[in-house]
Amino acid sequence: MHNFPNARSVAAEHLVLEQLGKSFGAVDVIPSLSLAVRKGEMVAFLGPSGCGKTTTLRMIAGLISPTRGRITVGGRDITHLPSHERDMGLVFQSYALFPHMTVLRNVAFGLEMRNVPKPEVRARALRALEVVQLSHLADRKPRDLSGGQQQRVALARALVIEPSILLLDEPLSNLDAKLRDEMRVQIRALQQASGITAVFVTHDQVEALSMCDRIVVMKEGHIEQFGTPTEIYEHPASPFVSSFVGRTNRLRGTSDSRGVITVAGQQIRAATAEAQGPVEIMMRPHRMRLAPAATDRNVPDATPVQGQNSLRGVLERLTFIGDLVQYHIRVGDAEVMVEEATRRDQGAPCAGTPVDLTWQASDTLVFPAAAS
Amino acid sequence: MSAAAETRRRPLRAGEVAVLLLLPIALINAVGFILPVLNLARYSLNRARIGGGIEQVFTWENWTGIFRDRFYLDIVINSVGVSLGITIATLILSYPIALYLHRSHGRWRTFLTVLVISPLLTSAVVRTYGWIALLSDNGPVVGTIRSLGLPAPRLMFNINGVFIGLTEILMPYMILALLAGFGRLDPKVEEAARTLGASPTRTFWRVILPLTLPGIALGCLLCFVLAVSSFITPKLMGGGRVFLLATEIYDQAIVTLNWPLASTLSILVLVIFGAALWAYSAVLRRLD
Ligand SMILES: Nc1ncnc2c1ncn2[C@@H]1O[C@H](COP(=O)(O)OP(=O)(O)OP(=O)(O)O)[C@@H](O)[C@H]1O
Ligand SMILES: [Mg+2]
Repeated sequence: MHNFPNARSVAAEHLVLEQLGKSFGAVDVIPSLSLAVRKGEMVAFLGPSGCGKTTTLRMIAGLISPTRGRITVGGRDITHLPSHERDMGLVFQSYALFPHMTVLRNVAFGLEMRNVPKPEVRARALRALEVVQLSHLADRKPRDLSGGQQQRVALARALVIEPSILLLDEPLSNLDAKLRDEMRVQIRALQQASGITAVFVTHDQVEALSMCDRIVVMKEGHIEQFGTPTEIYEHPASPFVSSFVGRTNRLRGTSDSRGVITVAGQQIRAATAEAQGPVEIMMRPHRMRLAPAATDRNVPDATPVQGQNSLRGVLERLTFIGDLVQYHIRVGDAEVMVEEATRRDQGAPCAGTPVDLTWQASDTLVFPAAAS
Repeated sequence: MSAAAETRRRPLRAGEVAVLLLLPIALINAVGFILPVLNLARYSLNRARIGGGIEQVFTWENWTGIFRDRFYLDIVINSVGVSLGITIATLILSYPIALYLHRSHGRWRTFLTVLVISPLLTSAVVRTYGWIALLSDNGPVVGTIRSLGLPAPRLMFNINGVFIGLTEILMPYMILALLAGFGRLDPKVEEAARTLGASPTRTFWRVILPLTLPGIALGCLLCFVLAVSSFITPKLMGGGRVFLLATEIYDQAIVTLNWPLASTLSILVLVIFGAALWAYSAVLRRLD
């Protein structure tokens, strides 16, 4: 595999989807999708099951034809190009290895289809197997491999042809947790080493956040947000993104003209408060702190410390999950979760006691309340 | 509690269950297949009396006779050749249908499957007469060819008719056997080939065909065996001018009343089937 040292600095748009749409009969699965992926970057398609990730990927790969719109790669319109002329490497969720061929023949297949001379085919296929550390299994049939090994063969098979774009459809979802972690690192390293443009479909937010340069959050066939992992996590564009990416607390309240939000009879502030009227506020559990209720504070009328929010509630239960403790606190009729790292000397508050929640006003996200 | 009651309550072992379950079919096979075949083998080593009847002497003359007589040798070669030809024709005509059926879904698939199986609900005699009507010298097929100004071929009462009729009659069996063997053909694997740069043609030769070879082998075995042993269609459509093993056995057993010779030819058919089965398992072994 070649190295493209400039691939990152050249932020040229490589794969572009223009108002791409797909209907199956009367069902409009993808209404209209526009997106530009830069050369050498790895973009995640993240979204719940059935939101159209696979459908979009299959349109890019040319396995189904779009109902509307255009797909270009490096400025060239490939919307109507048949799949086998597209030069894309696709890794299927089910791997889809050729069961009648050995591992080596599987990897060699794409090169043979490109009429690469025989000795070179063998050399390159073997090298690709080396990269995924499977040279010793070259003569096995796919059914004699473990899931993780099959997955790596599928990856080698897609990468050996040095495609212009690598497409991965939930490649890790059939692996166990430990192997998944290893493969994540390996796929990302391979992608960066070859400087290949990659689209990674997943419904696992950790995968998307940890592996990809940018994330497309999809919902019901449209893009909710397209941005870097930090942008997506810190500045979610909608309550959907906020609750889909990472854990989040959702509370309902009312915002007045001064930007003061009333939640369960208590007042808090947000960094920005464009919205007025009924709002939905969101906070990340690990950005909040918990303290035994201060008796000297008169809750409803207290003036908040500058830049600091505080809510009083009752600790309902706590869950110990190893390196974290999750506190579930009832505030009005809502439940708020706070996560804290476990400490050995911790004097944990008991369930049923009143507690104060505190967090930075800048960590408060405000969205206009949904109509429902 | 007595020891006898104790043993009676002991659950059956897997081997014992298997023996019990296999016993009925083993008995039926022994009485309905093995015994008659042994009987045939015995007749084939006896001597025929002129005008029927069997002389109970041990002789190899039936066997030496059929291998010396050019007539019987030709019948064997002809039967095997024609059956192979019919098998290949059936395969070529059935394969696309089976592939299409394999890929269709839902009600459409059910409908098509019923359509494929429906000829089996009609007797081969009726279907053969249908073909006779279509292919005879004043039938629509020959008529159409003639009206195009082409030289009209003889399609009836010769090997052509037998070939066409048997091919059509065997197609449902071939399609069902192919479908049964298409299990390994995953559409995702075809898509993988396409994304790796294989054109539809190359995908077919490199992926689809190899993956469907088990089905092809099964279908060919089935159709070959059915073609060699088919009797009604060659009899009716051959018009007495086509000599194949099945028709010859019938003639020897019923017309000439030479049971020893009929038995010898029957055993020969069994040997041919054995060879076909061996070839089939050899192919399957090669595939895996
Ligand atoms: N061939 C098809 N015919 C009809 N509907 C389809 C077809 N393929 C997909 N769909 C529908 O399109 C929607 C999107 O499907 P898609 O497979 O793209 O979802 P996905 O985001 O990949 O989900 P998952 O995470 O479960 O894989 C689904 O509602 C699905 O039922
Ligand atoms: Mg999917």
